[in-house]
Amino acid sequence: MDGKLLQISNLRTYFFTEAGVVKALDGMSMEVNKGETVGLVGESGSGKSVTAQSVLRIVPRPGRIVGGSVKFEGQELLTKKEDEMRKLRGPKMAIVFQDPTTSLNPLYTVEKQLTDILMLHRGLSREDASKQALHLLDRVGIQDSERRLKAYPHELSGGMKQRIAVARALSCDPVLLFADEPTTNLDVTIQAQVLELLKQLQNDLNMTMVMITHDMGIIADMTERVTVLYAGKVMEVAATPTLFKSPKHPYTEALLKAVPTVKQTRALEVIPGNIPNLIEPPTGCVFHPRCKYAKDVCVKKEPELEKVAEGHYAACHFWRELELEGKGH
Amino acid sequence: MAWRRFRRNKSGLIGGAIVIFFILVALAGPYLVAYPPRSYESLYEGDAGDPPSFKHPFGVEISGIDVFSETVDSTRNDLYVGLAATLITTLIGVAIGALAGYFKGAVSDILLGVTQMFFVIPVLLLILLFARVFSILVFKGLGLTLIVLILSFFGWSGIAFIVRGETLRLKEMEFVQAARSLGARPFRLLFRHIVPNILSPVIVIATLDIAGFILTEVVVSFLGFGDPNTSTWGLLLNEGFPYVRTTWWVALFPGLAVVFCVLGFNLMGDGLSDALNPRLRE
Amino acid sequence: MQHAISGVNWNSKEKGIEMKSTMRSGDRILEVNSVVKYFDVLERGIFRKKRVGEVHAVDNVTFHIFAGETLGLVGESGCGKTTAGKVILLLEEPTSGTIRFEGRDVVDTFQHGHQDEIKQLRRSMQMVFQNPYNSLDPRMTVYDIISEAFVIHRHIPKSQWTERVYELLRMVNLEEYHAERYPHEFSGGQRQRIAVARALAVDPKFVILDEPVSSLDVSIRAQILNLLIDLQKKQHLSYLYISHDLSSVRQISQRVAVMYLGEVVELANADELFDRPLHPYTQALISAVPVPDPDHKTTRIILPGEVPSPINPPNGCRFHPRCPHATDICKDVPPTFEDKLTQGHFVACHHADKFV
Repeated sequence: MDGKLLQISNLRTYFFTEAGVVKALDGMSMEVNKGETVGLVGESGSGKSVTAQSVLRIVPRPGRIVGGSVKFEGQELLTKKEDEMRKLRGPKMAIVFQDPTTSLNPLYTVEKQLTDILMLHRGLSREDASKQALHLLDRVGIQDSERRLKAYPHELSGGMKQRIAVARALSCDPVLLFADEPTTNLDVTIQAQVLELLKQLQNDLNMTMVMITHDMGIIADMTERVTVLYAGKVMEVAATPTLFKSPKHPYTEALLKAVPTVKQTRALEVIPGNIPNLIEPPTGCVFHPRCKYAKDVCVKKEPELEKVAEGHYAACHFWRELELEGKGH
Repeated sequence: MAWRRFRRNKSGLIGGAIVIFFILVALAGPYLVAYPPRSYESLYEGDAGDPPSFKHPFGVEISGIDVFSETVDSTRNDLYVGLAATLITTLIGVAIGALAGYFKGAVSDILLGVTQMFFVIPVLLLILLFARVFSILVFKGLGLTLIVLILSFFGWSGIAFIVRGETLRLKEMEFVQAARSLGARPFRLLFRHIVPNILSPVIVIATLDIAGFILTEVVVSFLGFGDPNTSTWGLLLNEGFPYVRTTWWVALFPGLAVVFCVLGFNLMGDGLSDALNPRLRE
Repeated sequence: MQHAISGVNWNSKEKGIEMKSTMRSGDRILEVNSVVKYFDVLERGIFRKKRVGEVHAVDNVTFHIFAGETLGLVGESGCGKTTAGKVILLLEEPTSGTIRFEGRDVVDTFQHGHQDEIKQLRRSMQMVFQNPYNSLDPRMTVYDIISEAFVIHRHIPKSQWTERVYELLRMVNLEEYHAERYPHEFSGGQRQRIAVARALAVDPKFVILDEPVSSLDVSIRAQILNLLIDLQKKQHLSYLYISHDLSSVRQISQRVAVMYLGEVVELANADELFDRPLHPYTQALISAVPVPDPDHKTTRIILPGEVPSPINPPNGCRFHPRCPHATDICKDVPPTFEDKLTQGHFVACHHADKFV
């Protein structure tokens, strides 16, 4: 199998709601190579969480994947039957969700939640599964693991719950891990702990990870390549240093300028307007209403994702002409 | 917005339609019936004990009472009990619940204790007990208004609990804190901010309560504790029950009326519940 | 009676007075002295609830805010920063300590003062809350929400209400037609603006901003932050900016205070605090924030364990169980909050000298 572990092409996932059809993902493409950590950055409504849900085929109702292709290890996932997908979830792909309070079942102990998965996918006996669960807790850095194993989620702190969520995701040694805003609900110092943990696991296990976040700091720190999503479409794809230093899409530039940093006090440049309504998204380029460089063609014609350089793509009509500012300016 | 959702809820609409139907019947009652309430006229016309016919759509009791007229007249009375009792219990329940939920300390504890006490009291048994004593003392069955009063006096605790819970929850919400920080006083906070936001569950419960109170009246009258001079479905059932084998229409039609009326309110309440409690925004 | 510093006539019973302050910048508009707030932990008894412990939410906090400045208040969950904000506004009563606004004792006014005095205080100090989805009454139109201030205080004649509401909406970059709409029709960022407009409707002098941008998207945050900074200049406001997001705190604050487990552990000018933090907790906190710069070498100071419970805070220095530099003295003796060496840079640490 060549390096590409995951290949998403032109994925379209729509939500059929009372108010109308929400085009959460409208032609999204992304590639992940084995062993790398890829960032998926966007704000609310960008479709970043929906991407992970679509790959794992756990899109909640009223959502449905309506088009495109998702190839994992060379196999098309969108045509697989549900029980085939079930065999993949856990042993091959896993996800860590944003809120550990809701992603862990409050009725069962930690032990039960972990052993259930191990017994199901690995066919282990209860004792073996318990031992493995203990080992997993140690692996994610939980002290006093024996006691914690018997605890219920509500007895544990946010950081610890999230570590258990990570342990659960890793329990069957998946090849691909999605981390969907794993630290957004956590305190800053706990966030640091969990990010360090993920980094460490990434190194030790040579895990392929997709880090979904809105935090550019986490992108800078944890990822090698980045895909920037806005309103269900890909704006830019690049290696992380390149994205920060020479962005080629106005949205990326605007995002970098609007984000405050703890390293210096500087004026923030405002992005006017609001996240668009996904039921009736703007015509042409979906970012045009808020783009300071927008011209006529941006309203009429949707830009294609064009190649800027090796591994660097931008969906903008004017990427050649615009001299955009990145970090370090 | 909630109205749109309600429109889409089929069972809620059906329930609403049924309720409206009964209300119209109740209002139009006097014009629909051929015989005055509790009249034995048909006896003199020789129709006593007749099965349903064109002249007597629901048949006639052995005593000569026209079942159709009675059923229609009862609609007004039973709805009166249901609606009046619900109105009063809702007002009391909201007031006590809001006060109990908003204030801390002795006031709240006492109100809560009182609510709990009233909640535990079996209202139906109490009514029957009271009716028994009453009938011994006064030689009369319980009139409608008396039933309404007793139901109102004892039936507010369910709503009070819900309202108290919601008040506790809303009290800490930031829009209430914001009004406080603007300088609003407790009265304004309670009645301008908290109560309007509690209305949704209260409306649902009230709708279901109407059905419940009607049923209580039916039981009371069926057991013979109601006023024999007031037409109610329960009374009709009481009169028809011993003769189910023969003049079965006497029990059937009032019975159906009760079933549909209660069903209507329940469905409407269900529909309202779905409409007023949206799962999530988009 | 004219108050010495502020020049406001406190005993006036006339309504509709435009509140003028003769506070000069450099004057302290807010003084928080040794404020303590404990919450009782109750257990259900049969008839009564029993007090089994106390949550030390705010434990002996002292800081001042100068007129026209923004003081940032940072810390993680459970540190007491939100409670501190609520206590200052008397949305919660302090267990002990004094709070002075423009020299006037706030707690005393609320407990023993005249209705008019209380109302005047309420007008002077306002708050913008964290959650834009909960801080606006869903049953009221935007017009109702903003004009509620006028209803309560009547400081503007009724004929001018509509015009003033429109003016306030324009101030926060919203349109006049928004006044007829309901909160659920707006986005998070727009709701926060409505909340700001509401706070401004009473012509306050001091606004507490409790995590105003935390629930908002990144691209919207800058809008609200810039708006707040702008309004501060135009309306001569003083802010207390409470947040756990250190990046935005740095943007908007002149001075910053760091809280841990109910205590202020460090207070300094913003640039000074972020570039040269003296308290080990502050150092760890700042190092933990991911920096949006791929060249930045992340040297995170990882603190072991979790934040201890505020019901039973550790002895001595509350941070000692997690502090990489803790020594014996730290376990027994609580450090004093002192101005170490640099003017205006306060730290509560026995070993702060090491880091200078």
